[in-house]
Amino acid sequence: MIEVQKLTKFYGLFCALKDVSFSIQEGERVGLLGPNGAGKSTMMRILTGFMPASYGTAKIGKYEIHEYPLEAKQLIGYLPERVPLYDEMTVKSFLKFVAQVKGLPRKEWKSAVDEVVHTCGLEQVFNRVVGVLSKGYRQRLGLAQALIGSPPVIILDEPTVGLDPQQVVEIRELIKNLGEKHTVLLSTHILSEVSLLCSRALILNRGEIVAEILIDPLKPSVDIERAFLNAISKEGIG
Amino acid sequence: MKSVWSIGKREFMSFFITPSGYVILGLIALLTGTAFVMSFLTYVQISQSPFQFGYSSVPDFEETFLSPYFVFCGIMIMFLSPIITMRLLSEEYHRGTMELLLTYPLRDRDIIFGKFGSALAVLLLAIILIALNVCLLLPFTDVEKSVLLFGLCSVFLMGMAVLSVGLFISSLITYPITAGLVSFGIYLMMFIVGNVAEKLPAVAPLPNTFPLILKNIVERFYTLFRSLLLELPLDNHAKNMALGIFEPKDIAYYFLCTAFFIFLTFRSLESRNWRK
Repeated sequence: MIEVQKLTKFYGLFCALKDVSFSIQEGERVGLLGPNGAGKSTMMRILTGFMPASYGTAKIGKYEIHEYPLEAKQLIGYLPERVPLYDEMTVKSFLKFVAQVKGLPRKEWKSAVDEVVHTCGLEQVFNRVVGVLSKGYRQRLGLAQALIGSPPVIILDEPTVGLDPQQVVEIRELIKNLGEKHTVLLSTHILSEVSLLCSRALILNRGEIVAEILIDPLKPSVDIERAFLNAISKEGIG
Repeated sequence: MKSVWSIGKREFMSFFITPSGYVILGLIALLTGTAFVMSFLTYVQISQSPFQFGYSSVPDFEETFLSPYFVFCGIMIMFLSPIITMRLLSEEYHRGTMELLLTYPLRDRDIIFGKFGSALAVLLLAIILIALNVCLLLPFTDVEKSVLLFGLCSVFLMGMAVLSVGLFISSLITYPITAGLVSFGIYLMMFIVGNVAEKLPAVAPLPNTFPLILKNIVERFYTLFRSLLLELPLDNHAKNMALGIFEPKDIAYYFLCTAFFIFLTFRSLESRNWRK
């Protein structure tokens, strides 16, 4: 569902991603792990068509994101790291706006909005102005806009960052409940999050994939912590 | 087309959810309304005793009052338009919502035409306010319809060109206030340049001792430069139109100016996709 080939990104002279290649099958949940500044957000932004790669290709479904941006973006639901929202709108009008710009047919707007409101638990704040929402609800709303239209690929950039412990549990539960109809790529630097939510983890360090781990559901956190530390320390020595 | 409508509608609504729409329409109503009353009272004074003001008879109503009023309204809109345009794209960049828009299945044209369309809708509301002022006169005097129509058209076309310049500036700068100030600075510069150009002598003021060949070259460049300065300012082309004179070059100027800056906005937005 997602196929990345030799993706490289330069910011001026700084190389943020270096020859990154990986693929994600349909229905898979993959975590993109790495320390701060590893290139996770850059990767997400390239995959969602927000910025181009310097070299290499990224395919969503059968569409290369740079060549067929419209078709590829139809398949993506994206939650950016900082959850940018229109503060002056109400939750209801914002979600309706997203349904419109995602090109959903008019008769499906209401059902699409109702569905994500129910999935993300936004009923209580449905008529509230976005600007007055708590951080947890803003995150839920960010997730809701990504889920509208039920796109097959969901890309989440650090979905639990800055939330309190209870909100973290709620958002993780939400992501877990997305079901197998979505392919999920999730970036984070929290190891336990990946072990709880994903079946595979890609470890990114200094713009390169340094390890790929299949997560054992019986002893998830032990595996991933050891592998992560090994990968990072090898890089450090290298 | 549906997406253009959705983006435009959201933008237009947000003008009136936040104070900016009320501020700009309020200021336009206040300034054009005050100017209307003041200049109308002056015209009444002139028409009562034209000799005192240097006229041999009662001056033409359209030429003395109505056309200059429309040009003034156009200039007002030009200087107030940064309040509309500074938020169009700059604010999307500033608060990060551009990341959402650019990752939705939208074309650049949906975003640009949606934003520009919403700004034009606010401009239309401003023109309705100006038209209301003028319509107050209709029961009392026989206003020439062509002057009224072309006058309002000149304000609209001038506003349209100004909004396209502001939209382009807004696509370049990520801080709305900075975008607004830069747009304002550009309009002010164009306005000053236009006024200075009108005062320049028609022929280059060169001393007679100047060699003939050099004089010819300098004069050619001077004439070209002067006519460029005269044609460039946005308000200069509205003057003839506001008198009810149909000049295709004036209308073409506004449409070409708008098309040029919309084109530049497309290139500016597209530049994010240039592989570096």
